[in-house]
Amino acid sequence: MGELEDRRTAVSEARFESLLDTAADGVIVIDETGRMLVFNKICEQLFGYTSQEAIGQNVSLIMPPEFSVSHDRFMNNYHRTGERRIIGIGREVSGMHRDGTVFPLELSVGEAKTADGRQYIGVLRDLRSRRAVEQRVSQLQAQVVHMTRLSAMDEMGAAMAHELNQPLTALLLYLQAVARQVRACHADAKPPSDKMLDVLDKAVLEAERASHIVQRMRQMVEKRDPERATVDLREVVNEALDLSEFVAQGATVTIRRVFGMTPIQVDADATQIQQILLNLLRNAREVAKESEERWVKVSIGSDDRSAFVSVTDSGPGFSEDVGKSLFRTFSTTKKSGMGLGLAISRAIAQNHGGDLMADPGGNGQGATFTLMLPMHHSDEAEEDTWG
Amino acid sequence: MYIIVEDDPSVADALESLLSGAGLPVRVFASAEEFIHSASPAPDDTMIVDLGLPGMSGGELVRHLEKAGATPKVIAISGTSSRTIARETEGLADVKILRKPPAADWLEAITA
Ligand SMILES: Nc1ncnc2c1ncn2[C@@H]1O[C@H](COP(=O)(O)OP(=O)(O)O)[C@@H](O)[C@H]1O
Ligand SMILES: [Mg+2]
Repeated sequence: MGELEDRRTAVSEARFESLLDTAADGVIVIDETGRMLVFNKICEQLFGYTSQEAIGQNVSLIMPPEFSVSHDRFMNNYHRTGERRIIGIGREVSGMHRDGTVFPLELSVGEAKTADGRQYIGVLRDLRSRRAVEQRVSQLQAQVVHMTRLSAMDEMGAAMAHELNQPLTALLLYLQAVARQVRACHADAKPPSDKMLDVLDKAVLEAERASHIVQRMRQMVEKRDPERATVDLREVVNEALDLSEFVAQGATVTIRRVFGMTPIQVDADATQIQQILLNLLRNAREVAKESEERWVKVSIGSDDRSAFVSVTDSGPGFSEDVGKSLFRTFSTTKKSGMGLGLAISRAIAQNHGGDLMADPGGNGQGATFTLMLPMHHSDEAEEDTWG
Repeated sequence: MYIIVEDDPSVADALESLLSGAGLPVRVFASAEEFIHSASPAPDDTMIVDLGLPGMSGGELVRHLEKAGATPKVIAISGTSSRTIARETEGLADVKILRKPPAADWLEAITA
């Protein structure tokens, strides 16, 4: 009986050991005085000590100094009052690697009463990778905010239309007034009066007011000069796809990437190129969502002069009629669309010495939008002297 | 009398030019409040009211006049969407609506 019991303990202890070492989390057991009794493999990696080095030492070994002091106090306090600060709760703490690196950890503590007194089991999870993910997400979010400036442009467009309304109204009314007066003078065979000139002057002022509004709008679109750099188009597109994925969270459209193995160097403002791609992807997702097959294909290619990114979707394509005005500002077939996406996108592409082209598809084929950008030439100086 | 209640000074001035250029008597007010404090319309007046006035809106002004028993002819002008206009003029007797920017001759529309 006793022997069986012992064997069972031995087996479960062995299992416990192997479990500890395969655990994805760091596991530490300390006694009442803070001495480490168990220090598993993950802990070895986390803190840079072998278990032989760690076991028997005070747990303050793996804490930043400022924490080790309060840790002793917490333990004493708990032993005296039974007041729990961490046991059974879990919290974020700091650990310190042998080389002095301090890093965030999630710590959960359990308590065990043994014949040898109280022991505490700590389970430790490195938070650095999660941090990195969180950071990446917030970075993406910041970019999304920036990127969706174009969708904010939709709202801005509405606001602009509203603002333009007033000077246009005034302008037209002044012109109507003058036209009437001119006609009246004509009928009476009288020369036009100075008053009419006054009204015309006012009309000019209103036209100027309207054009200021348009200029302001243009400035917002062209907010800054493009920041050109030589970039690998595949990376730019990949990042745009990530962003678009992020914006369309939970969407059910499959994105197919058809990329080559070699870098495709272009001189471009990556952010602006991504704005184009986000627009194309947004449009494509919108129609793909309503289609049977629900996919969007993004392919990259090049010849010796130009690089291409094509976005094709499983939608129905567009009609010849729509095709005629596609790239015009405020041309939209959507209820809540502003029709600015493609217009702005083409302007950006042309600003880069490239272009944006549309293939209407139809007959079961979706539309294809192709962004063309000139390839980067590494020997531009040479080209200049020859050219 | 033609009474214009419009907060945009240029639009108000242009409208005034158009009407007074045709020899019509005109008064201009920049807000509903200003109008209520200084005048009350006669039944044969025509009021041209911008719906999007700051403070008391054009719709409220017309409603206020209706309640007070004043029954001038009312023409509402507005630059917003037809849906917004419908919401703003809901429950008003019969208001002619002119949309900004003008698509036709407003003098004809106003005096018709
Ligand atoms: N992938 C597509 N398939 C079919 N039609 C499209 C596609 N992308 C754009 N269009 C058409 O082009 C129009 C203009 O697009 P855009 O300039 O982005 O403005 P918006 O999306 O606000 O309508 C759309 O309203 C739509 O009719
Ligand atoms: Mg769009």
